[in-house]
Amino acid sequence: MILLSTYRAIKLAFQNFYRNIWLSLATVLILVLTIFLVSLLFGVKIVADKTIDSVKENVDVSIYFEPDAPDNEILAIKENLENKPEVRELNYISKSQALENFKEKNKDNPTILESLEAIGENPLGATITIKARKLEDYQTILKSLDDEKYKGIIQDKDEDYESNQSVIQKLTDVTNKVNRVGLILGIVFSFVAILVVFNTIRITIYTHREEIGIMKLVGASNSFVRAPFIFESILYGILASLICLLILYSLINTISPFLNKFFEGYSLDIVSYFNSQFWKVAALQMVFSVFLSMVSSAIAIGKYLKV
Amino acid sequence: MIKFINVSKTYKPDTVGVKNINLHIRPGEFVSIVGQSGTGKTTLAKLIIAELKPDKGRIIIGGWDITQIKPQEIPGLRRQIGVVYQDFKLLQKKTVFENVAFALEVCGEGIKKINTIVPQVLKIVGLENKTDRFPRQISGGEQQRVVIARSLVHRPKILLADEPTGNLDSINAYDIINLLKKINKFGTTVVLVTHNREIVNALRKRVITIDHGMIISDQESGKYIL
Repeated sequence: MILLSTYRAIKLAFQNFYRNIWLSLATVLILVLTIFLVSLLFGVKIVADKTIDSVKENVDVSIYFEPDAPDNEILAIKENLENKPEVRELNYISKSQALENFKEKNKDNPTILESLEAIGENPLGATITIKARKLEDYQTILKSLDDEKYKGIIQDKDEDYESNQSVIQKLTDVTNKVNRVGLILGIVFSFVAILVVFNTIRITIYTHREEIGIMKLVGASNSFVRAPFIFESILYGILASLICLLILYSLINTISPFLNKFFEGYSLDIVSYFNSQFWKVAALQMVFSVFLSMVSSAIAIGKYLKV
Repeated sequence: MIKFINVSKTYKPDTVGVKNINLHIRPGEFVSIVGQSGTGKTTLAKLIIAELKPDKGRIIIGGWDITQIKPQEIPGLRRQIGVVYQDFKLLQKKTVFENVAFALEVCGEGIKKINTIVPQVLKIVGLENKTDRFPRQISGGEQQRVVIARSLVHRPKILLADEPTGNLDSINAYDIINLLKKINKFGTTVVLVTHNREIVNALRKRVITIDHGMIISDQESGKYIL
């Protein structure tokens, strides 16, 4: 009996939907806009976070040693650095390895190789590349290498992390601003969506007042009178989230070449990231849109459907 | 079957609906409630189906005190009382059969039961040949029969007819009254609310007359006295 009643309520919900097709479509459209906006907001946040992460990932400092620095001193520094809690990753290139790399890199350039022969000895020094756990840690690490005793061993330190730091700072600022504006817009749109669904259900109740009156007259239970309107709002939510999903993913796949180009050189594939998160995005959108639409229809039913 | 004990109902701000009504309708009775427009007949009818709640007094239907009835109990009450109105209240987009079936559907009855009961009640009201017509394709009298058929599907103990002949010519009106008498013969208590003098006088049944919200006369085999 419950199954049969549910079936009948759902049938009525579908009837309500297509007998007022334009109103229903307008409602769905507003819901789509809202969910799309909120999704876009999350999308921008994810892209920005990923960008910042990958910029951070690309930051490192290199320490170049004098070619004649003794190996044991270099290894001592290496060990010292490795033991620092701030150091996340350390890459050591020995003198001979550096030479190999250099030769490999210039194997098509006989002039360079010949001049290297002419020098007779290895003119290159060892290098240590460090990635810190946090951006602020670079300062501390580099300071520890400023010690007097390292003079004559360390030839140079590249400190280009500072320019990276300002890029990251700018990105963070922009993201924060976008998030704030987006949050406000999202709230405004959610509010508008609630109002629109509310009004639609109100109008549906109004157009069906005769039927509702008869239902009550012949002894339909209160839940049976209410159920079609709840189902109708669920229908709006599901439909809106499906349309939004379609738009969102066609958009992502259309602009994917541009996105990939933009993020060239970073270990970041936004498109495949979004594709891998498809089900999560779909579920979240559906939950959000059904929630929005059910809340507003519940308010409308409570207010206008006196049973 | 229906008991009113000192029942009063006032509409805001100060319009009297009914005042100090004491009434006892026994099972199987056919009672006409008469009076001019605006004297409280419909208020009385609405009190019986719990569409209104009394300000004072108690109402007992079939031994059930509905004075303080809870909203979730109202559907149960309405299934025991068949209601027929002057303005039919039929769904124009549904056929005769569907209109009657609707009353069972919304109460969660299965298709099998619907397919048994609906033809039965349509036969009682004499519409077994017009089950596929839409309300606009049948006459006013026939539409009222559909409404009566619909009110019978729950096998109610009480049939409440509020001005059922108000929109009908006299021949159709008498047909409807005869139908109500037939239903009364099956054992259903019939409460007829009307201001149609001829019908009341022809019925020769109990007549309760209301004026300004109060019962001014209650006669077995009565006449329209206003």
